[in-house]
Amino acid sequence: MLLRLCVPLTLLPFFYNGLSLLSGDDHKTLSMKFTLNWLREYIDTDLEPARIADHLTMLGLEVDACVPCYPELAGVVVARIEAVFPHPNADKLVLCDVNAGQGLTRVVCGAPNARAGLVTPLALPGAVLPGGFTIKPAKIRGEESCGMLCSAKELGIAEDQAGIMELAADLQPGVALSQALGLVDTMIEVDLTPNRPDCASVLGIAREVGGVIGKRIKPPVDTPPALSDENLPFSVEVEAVADCPRYAARLVRKVKIGPSPWWLRQRLLAVGMRPISNIVDITNFVMLEYGQPLHAFDFNKLAGGKIVVRRARAGESFVTLDGNEHQLEPEMLMICDAKRPVALAGIMGGANSEVDAETTDILLESACFSAIGIRRTAGKLKMSTEASYRFERGVDPQGVPRAMERAVQLIAALSGGEIVEGGVDCRDGVIAPAPIILRGKRTRALLGMDLTLDRIGAALAGIEIDVEKLDDDTLRVTPPSFRVDLEREVDLIEEVARIVGYNLLPTTLPMVPMSFSEQDPLRELRKKVVQTLTALGFYEAINYSFVAPQHCDLLGLAEDDARRQSVHLLNPLAEDQSVLRTTLLPGLLENLRRNVNHQSHDVRLFEIGKVFHPLESGQPQEPFRLAAVVSGRRNPGAPVLHTGETPVDIFDVKGVVTQILESLRVGGTITCEAGATSQELPFAEPGSVLAVRGGEQILGWCGAFSQKTLKGFGVKQQAFFVDLDLAAFGGFSPQAKTFAPLPKFPFVKWDMALIVPEGAAAGEMLAAIHGCGEKLIEKAEIFDVFQGKNIEAGKKSVAISITYRAFDRTLDDETVGKIHQKIIEMMISRFNGQLREA
Amino acid sequence: MPSMHEELLRLKAAAGEELAAISTIGELEPFRVKYLGRKGEFTLVMRQLGQAPPEERPRLGQLANEIKQELETAYASREALLADAGSASTQATLDLTLPGRALPFGKLHPVTQVMDAVCSIFEGLGFAVAEGPDVEVDFYNFEALNIPPHHPARAMHDTFYISDSLLLRTHTSPMQARIMEKEQPPLRMIAPGKVYRCDSDITHTPMFHQVEGFLVDRHISFADLKGVLSVFITRMFAENTPIRFRPSFFPFTEPSAEVDIGCVICGGKGCRVCKQTGWLEILGAGMIDPEVFKKVGYDPEEYSGFAFGLGIERVAMLKYGITDIRLFYENDLRFLSQF
Repeated sequence: MLLRLCVPLTLLPFFYNGLSLLSGDDHKTLSMKFTLNWLREYIDTDLEPARIADHLTMLGLEVDACVPCYPELAGVVVARIEAVFPHPNADKLVLCDVNAGQGLTRVVCGAPNARAGLVTPLALPGAVLPGGFTIKPAKIRGEESCGMLCSAKELGIAEDQAGIMELAADLQPGVALSQALGLVDTMIEVDLTPNRPDCASVLGIAREVGGVIGKRIKPPVDTPPALSDENLPFSVEVEAVADCPRYAARLVRKVKIGPSPWWLRQRLLAVGMRPISNIVDITNFVMLEYGQPLHAFDFNKLAGGKIVVRRARAGESFVTLDGNEHQLEPEMLMICDAKRPVALAGIMGGANSEVDAETTDILLESACFSAIGIRRTAGKLKMSTEASYRFERGVDPQGVPRAMERAVQLIAALSGGEIVEGGVDCRDGVIAPAPIILRGKRTRALLGMDLTLDRIGAALAGIEIDVEKLDDDTLRVTPPSFRVDLEREVDLIEEVARIVGYNLLPTTLPMVPMSFSEQDPLRELRKKVVQTLTALGFYEAINYSFVAPQHCDLLGLAEDDARRQSVHLLNPLAEDQSVLRTTLLPGLLENLRRNVNHQSHDVRLFEIGKVFHPLESGQPQEPFRLAAVVSGRRNPGAPVLHTGETPVDIFDVKGVVTQILESLRVGGTITCEAGATSQELPFAEPGSVLAVRGGEQILGWCGAFSQKTLKGFGVKQQAFFVDLDLAAFGGFSPQAKTFAPLPKFPFVKWDMALIVPEGAAAGEMLAAIHGCGEKLIEKAEIFDVFQGKNIEAGKKSVAISITYRAFDRTLDDETVGKIHQKIIEMMISRFNGQLREA
Repeated sequence: MPSMHEELLRLKAAAGEELAAISTIGELEPFRVKYLGRKGEFTLVMRQLGQAPPEERPRLGQLANEIKQELETAYASREALLADAGSASTQATLDLTLPGRALPFGKLHPVTQVMDAVCSIFEGLGFAVAEGPDVEVDFYNFEALNIPPHHPARAMHDTFYISDSLLLRTHTSPMQARIMEKEQPPLRMIAPGKVYRCDSDITHTPMFHQVEGFLVDRHISFADLKGVLSVFITRMFAENTPIRFRPSFFPFTEPSAEVDIGCVICGGKGCRVCKQTGWLEILGAGMIDPEVFKKVGYDPEEYSGFAFGLGIERVAMLKYGITDIRLFYENDLRFLSQF
């Protein structure tokens, strides 16, 4: 469900007109930054920044940061130099007596413009300047200095570093510099969800705030002038109307490219954008203000003074502003002049028509492109810019002329340019938003809240959505052009909920009929097995589903082993995470290595997880397997005092398997016996493996890892494994639980010790006793196997204890003795043995 | 031959003396057998009662019973005394500060523990559990959830692809579509499982766990969503956990919400973990979008429902104070044994 509950990566700023591209491929959520003072240009509010941030978050515009601007200016005050003396030990330094509001302070200064009467910033001891430089009282060439007089660059508020800042002479000494310069401001950063491109603008954010506090925004340009396209020195032709619903262009002549004024630079710097030149800065500023990306062409670089909006031609290529060359495809929309493409529409301008220091005439583009078209092109070219972000999500077609007017006014004002009368505004493709019927009843039902139609209407009207009452319980709603996300009744219901406030909606529990749904038997089986394993001292491991392809080699799997047939990722994060696992063992072996390397030597780990086997077509099979590794001491965690340091051996894993079978009540149908082949288990020690079988079906194995395997995985101690096809266990029904009456009479135990050839299998000997048909035998158990002293070479002694019991009487020695003797004889003949003398 | 009366008194005196001399528990049983057992001396004397003159029998019988009771009481108190003394001597010789002989004891992975806790809360509310494939088709992961190709929301999912149409599911939400396609409302389901995104750092692993849940029926409202999720949060965290719902965006829900709880680290005062807001995002949720219903053939005018999802690792990190998500997949026993 959720789109990952984590901090989204924010975008670096990059522009349609300007600079850089994002390093990765995909863009994430856009973070929209603005400052409180900037916001207040459009909405009259004196709310605290924290309150505004809270309102925005609760409106669905999640505030990621709300921090003071220029934090480095804390501790920097306005000061007046009262007197200047030469430094006794340095030619280039002077001693200044400065008034910072509280008597005179002596400061050593090296700036050429330090002079009596100058009002300038003083960083007091304790201030931390940009770059982390902390001001402390110091002796400079033997003279006390209690602070530092600063240049604009040292304070991080401008590039000027010719000397210390020259402030207005009437500023009051001692006043905080940020206050004196009007720099007290708060930067607010909002993580935008992709449905709200209208809020990728300061005006859009202001409108939302207005909806909460009941005020309207005051945009700098409300009604743009009508433009005449008569007698223009340029022309625009939109061939692809569907791709470009609106295209406006105006010409500004005789501009002077230069730096932007302080206020504009300050706006951009505060939101992390680097000022470049007045023209580029203005297009960026207006984009942030209106959410409308703009592009400025150097008019004199446009062939034929003409703009053609068309799709790319097959084989065309294009070099964007960032210097990259792109092969164009026929569905990509291009802005062209009379001869060639000059911009990748809505994404990035071209190097061939870029504004530079010599530019005098600007053709400014303000346009609206089809969201799907830009998405496709940006996706194909793996490009993402501030402009493409907005176009991909939908730009307000009615914002086109407003942003254009705002931008040309600023260009004229800040670059001395002359606006050419008239302009082009092709808007054949603009489709007016269709009205939507909103039912009061539906709204109340979906939100679970009793809302009057008036309240519903008022909520919508507060954020500039036109509502008209059709009848007692129905509204006709016309979404504004900037709300491209409002297309259906349910979208409007969400708006109502948002404005009313989610936390004011009631909290109820649903009335749903009772039912019992089927339980997934495999899930139940897993739960049972997990219980057994934790009770047996195993910790659960969870490993990634993707692994290194080399694992198959390390396990020594044959070329045609099915476990080599794996599902490959097209875009893995790393080569060692590039295929989906077909066995759980490598993951556990890596866990074992890690633990042993970190001095946890006694390891019992299991994992229950899916492995993946590709099929001819479609989704792979994803059966659940169970694997475990056992290594180190038999009694992990228990005091050596009581349990000793006995290491585990193969019977530990065999025991684990039999206990799992027992707990699942399938011990009667599934067995764990010798007989696995080295072809199945090339990673196991030959002769130290057992196969888990249900009838003819192999359900898994347990055994010892070979030294070679352990070495391959970097494991420095002996280890044993269990590897079971857990999904297949579902095919074996557990033995039913039926009560057997408790015996009323005691059992007797008789032992025998037989000398048999060393090849005789103990398991077969027990099976022979159990299978001999004697009803009084309750159980046979091997209690000792011995080779060595007093036993002939090639033979072994096997001691067996047999439990006898009758259901209806206490057995006497005579009866048991006869049976026991019969069994001894049977065993001697069957296993070529002899009775061992006591 | 002494009279039976004398004989009884003699027995009483002899037994009393012998009992007083017993100093170990081991001597008690032979004493009991000698005097009070089935073949004991007292029984033998009682057998002679039949030979006594009939007029004396009631008196002798009463005396015999009194003596027997006295003896039994004395025996019991001697036994208790010796038992106490016995354990006192054991106390002096057993070093009880030696560690206990612990049997092996393993634990579930913290992710499984949290997952089980989440599932059992919803199962308690009548939700059924369903699991789906990890390798999912594009249709269920995206299109059925109202995320068509090239939709900007796809950029929020860093998807691992296997082919043009197959991928590792980026969320457990595909189960919504898979189940609704097969079954008719009313539905109450949760779908726990592994999900995958190509991202790896201190707060992201390329594989993590989610639980998706949804409830569909007639007349289900946003207020119901709030109710069910509030129950979940108070069970999962604490009864008085502050909860807030705020608008968000998911392509497959409308209205969409994110659910925050009061920061469990700082108690809402503001800290690094909650980015000074006092709130932690814990769930994504919303009313199932009519487009999703249309894709599975439900009439959105008839049915409504809500869906929600939460990241298990995040909950585990908050509950246990884990600071690096990658620890979950190293399977270091020093980590696993802490939970």
